[in-house]
Formats: sequence, C-alpha cells, structure tokens
Amino acid sequence: MAEARKSMIKFKPKKFKVGDIIKVDFIVIHPMDTGLKKNKKTGEVIPAKFIDNITFSLDGKAFTTMKVWETVSTNPYFSVNMKVPGKGKITVDYTDNTGEKNSKSKKLKPKG
Amino acid sequence: MKRRNFIKSICAATAVAAVASPSALLAKEAPKGGNLLSYDAAVAAITGGKAVTDSDKIKLTVPEIAENGAVVPVKINVESPMTEADHVKAIHVLSTKNGNARCADVMLTPMNAKGYFATRVKLGGTQDVVALVELSDGSFLRASKPVKVTIGGCG
Repeated sequence: MAEARKSMIKFKPKKFKVGDIIKVDFIVIHPMDTGLKKNKKTGEVIPAKFIDNITFSLDGKAFTTMKVWETVSTNPYFSVNMKVPGKGKITVDYTDNTGEKNSKSKKLKPKG
Repeated sequence: MKRRNFIKSICAATAVAAVASPSALLAKEAPKGGNLLSYDAAVAAITGGKAVTDSDKIKLTVPEIAENGAVVPVKINVESPMTEADHVKAIHVLSTKNGNARCADVMLTPMNAKGYFATRVKLGGTQDVVALVELSDGSFLRASKPVKVTIGGCG
C-alpha cells in the first residue's frame, strides 16, 4: 500500500476561465536521495530514493509525463502550463525508484 | 596476430553494445552508485546522433550564481504554437558536469498550450545547464547557460 506522502497541486492564477492558460505546479515532500551521501553518524550510504516518473492527467487522460532523476532537488517542484478546457479533475500520479506509488488530485473549477 | 584481432573484436563488440542500446542507458534500475551518464552520452541517447541546433527560440532562465548547488531554479520557455502539427514534444533538462547529466525529461502535448517547464535541480559544481528540446517534427534544439556554484549540491 502506498505511503501517504505530502504533496500539493497549485493552479496559478487561482481564478480562471475556460480557455485560459494556467500554470499547474506540483510540489511533493520527497528526499530525492542520490545514493551518494553517507549517514554522518553511522557511515552507511543513504540509498538512492528519488521520484522517477510523473504523469499529469485530466479526467484520466494524460497530458504531460515526466521522467525524473536523482539530480532534481529534494522536495521537488515541477511546473507546466495547461489550457483549461472546462471543469474536471487534475490527477498527478508519481512513482519513485523504490517502487513507491502515489497520487494527488485537485478539481479544476473554471469560473465562466 | 590472432590474439590482437581477438582483442580488437572484443573492444568493437563492447563499443557496439554500448551505443546500440540507448534505452539501456536511460533505464531506471535502482542505482547502487548512481545513474552515472556523461552529458555527451546522454545527448547521444536522447537524439540518436541527430543534429542539434542552438536556438534562441528557447528561453532558459537560471541564476548566474547559485549560492546553494542543491537547489538551482531552472525555467524553460520554448516559442511554439503547441498545435497538433507543431509543438514541443519533449524538454530534456541536462547538466554538463554532474555524474548523471540527466535531470528531467518532460513530454508535453498540445494541451499544455505553452512550451514551458520549470523545476529546481542539484548541481555538483560550476557547469552549464542545458535545455535540449525535441519538436514534433523530430528536430532538436538546444540552449545552455553557465551557473557558478559556490557550494556543490550532490554529496
């Protein structure tokens, strides 16, 4: 079962109409460990643990996919644009290299 | 003479194997020592050896000096109509000197409406950040910018 991981989808601007091009930001709390660092107390290598695949979907249809490596910063931030076609639900599905799977959704509510 | 030919054939075979499987280079097996891949090898794997043109259609924004190499903001804007017939297919964010030159590959579609992507990356030291852009017609464009890093961000 997937760990509940803190993440956030943000639309910018917050208020928009059908046909507007908005920014869709996705931020997630994740260590993005490279596998190159050592635990300073134990001397053990901290194993690589990083988000490797992300899919942005609108009502189940993918519109942006990403392959990500450990070179992306800890607690990563990803931002793309989207033209608002109407009401719907944005879902971000993401996995990491250890097989952890997570998902976050946000309703798309254009005004007018 | 026979032994020399034998050794030559091993080297050739290794070279062919290395070049012939770019997907293996991009494969995502959990790394023990990291997904090491040089910038040149990463570009070759992405483009398959196709020509890459430097283009001012790509607006690449990075800080000139990054105090903290662990969090370097990268913003990319590619001029594109983003129609079905003419759009940015993928933006590949790379660095020239990290052990793993790849940062992110972003596959866009016309619904994105703009050839835009932003993220934050780690840079192990002073080097260039590169936006390698694949268009829907299969051509590749590139923009690169140097970033001075005072404290490296990978270790």
